Amino acid sequence: MDHLERFVTQVKAQLFVMLLLNNVLVLAAWWVGQEVFALDPLLVLAAMGAVALLSLILIPLLSAKFITEPTRLIWQAILHISPDVANVPAPDLSKPVLGRELVTYLTSHIYQLASVVDSLETDSSQHADLTKNFVANSMPLPLMILDKNQTILFVNAAMCGYLEREAGDIIGQNVYSVLDMSFSSPQTFDAWLEQARASEVSASKSWERVRIDVGDYRRRKQFDLAAHYSHDNPEGFETMLIFFDHTERYGQDDQALSFVALAVHELRVPVTLLRGYIEALEEELEGKIDGEAADFMRKMSAAAQSLSVFINNMLNVARVENNQLVLKLREERWPDIIQTAVNDLSLRAKIQGVEVVTQIDRDLPTVGVDRVSMYEVIINLLDNAIKYSSKGQKVIIRSQRTPDGMVETIIEDNGVGIPANVVPNLFEKFYRSHRSRGQVGGTGLGLYLCKSIVEAHGGKIWVRSQEGQGSTFGFTILPYTSLADEQKTGDNKDIIRGAHGWIKNHSLYSS
Amino acid sequence: MEPQQNQPRRKVLIIEDEYFISELYVRALTRAGYDVTVEVDGQKGLELAKTNQYDIILLDLMIPTITGMEVLRQLRGQGAPKLKAKIVITTNLEQREELRADIEAQADAYLVKAEITPRELVNFLNTIK
Repeated sequence: MDHLERFVTQVKAQLFVMLLLNNVLVLAAWWVGQEVFALDPLLVLAAMGAVALLSLILIPLLSAKFITEPTRLIWQAILHISPDVANVPAPDLSKPVLGRELVTYLTSHIYQLASVVDSLETDSSQHADLTKNFVANSMPLPLMILDKNQTILFVNAAMCGYLEREAGDIIGQNVYSVLDMSFSSPQTFDAWLEQARASEVSASKSWERVRIDVGDYRRRKQFDLAAHYSHDNPEGFETMLIFFDHTERYGQDDQALSFVALAVHELRVPVTLLRGYIEALEEELEGKIDGEAADFMRKMSAAAQSLSVFINNMLNVARVENNQLVLKLREERWPDIIQTAVNDLSLRAKIQGVEVVTQIDRDLPTVGVDRVSMYEVIINLLDNAIKYSSKGQKVIIRSQRTPDGMVETIIEDNGVGIPANVVPNLFEKFYRSHRSRGQVGGTGLGLYLCKSIVEAHGGKIWVRSQEGQGSTFGFTILPYTSLADEQKTGDNKDIIRGAHGWIKNHSLYSS
Repeated sequence: MEPQQNQPRRKVLIIEDEYFISELYVRALTRAGYDVTVEVDGQKGLELAKTNQYDIILLDLMIPTITGMEVLRQLRGQGAPKLKAKIVITTNLEQREELRADIEAQADAYLVKAEITPRELVNFLNTIK
């Protein structure tokens, strides 16, 4: 406050000087008029009045600028720092002015305050960053953010922990070089992202049972993945991935399944031998037995074959679950595959007293399938249809081209049918319709497997059924031409690589 | 399955330690006109393969002394003798990817025993030239 008091004193002094000057001037006018020019007293009085009036006009005019100068300087300082007013220079404090100390003092305070405000603003944006980091890092779910080149821009602490790597090793890397994710279906993250990038502004998707192997010991981790894509994000964040870890739960399922698979695997050798010896026995006894003995022989052979199908189903389900069912899609003649399956089940149909009718369109295009797996799909569907039909009924297998260019195959029976309430769950693992509780056996794996295989081929499977009136199962597959573009080589001499074996430049089932 | 007439019988070596499997394969192949030799031991099988002219070698992977993988490596790896025999792996093993890639590179065919009956094996070998 010293500065203010001094300023007031200075103003008082200024006013005193002005008023004194005024009086001096009036007195000077009197003295000059009276003594120098010896004027008439009336004229002296008039001169004194004129001088007083003149100084009353001039003195305020001159002193106002001095007295208001501090206000002008402070005002200029305020305008200078104001973000709304441009091009105001800083006040020049070097000139000796009235209240200079006060002005210096006040302007320095103004600038100080301004810098505090500035730093407050900077702080608040830093604060926002800190908040984001805090939220991302304290979020208990692993999080990763990618830019438009699929380069990793950010990983949170949970992600580093999950991947057992340092953030520095991960950030800046391509996501696919860091995460070798395996998915249970062809609808993978990269396929989705590619599609989203091509046609979406923003998109979200989630996947179950995604697997990665982490750490030096390549420990398997399993999680559900959620991803969000947004086109042209201003900060360059294009894709966000969040993991929901289920390693333990999925691991338990896998263990249960791998135990079953292991047990079933042990059955393979005895069943292989059983089938081999039955086949040998059939050959040895051909023409030597007839009637009931021949019938028993057929039934034995059919039963051994069913057992073999069951074992294959079990093992294939284990492969599907472990993402190990590898399909080698090749150009195949679809009627051949259907016919092979129908022939292989003819014995079963005969025993059951069911007639299998085949209706295949003549101009069916060649298809792009893994022959062995597709054979199993048909075997499973056809076997079900035969199983749930009664003596004398027909099972129809039809194949035709759909309007959208797919090859559709339909297997129709007039058997017991499926209640409407179980139809939606029919393709789930270990699900069995009530109809199978009777004398009909089954594992509940066949349809799950069919669905997995058909979908892995890019097709769809469906069912239509009415209890008591039979069931119709159908599935679609792609013609070879629409697959051919995806095949790198046009020739059909690929190595078959499926779950069952491969043969170089050859097909086991061509004979 | 009629024996093949008017042409030399094709020679097959079966390296397999499961007696029942080899019995079934020997029976089916002999009836189909093949000249069949069976060996249960990996090392001895390898010697046989090197010293005789077989058309086809059926090679199991889980066999005594040296594994089928080792036999395959010695018959098809670097510095191996040039054999005319086609090598067909017969196994019930689920192969790990990397091992499988090795087998793919060296063998001519890979069969899962549980997937095929002896008759189907014969049909298949008939098509291998």
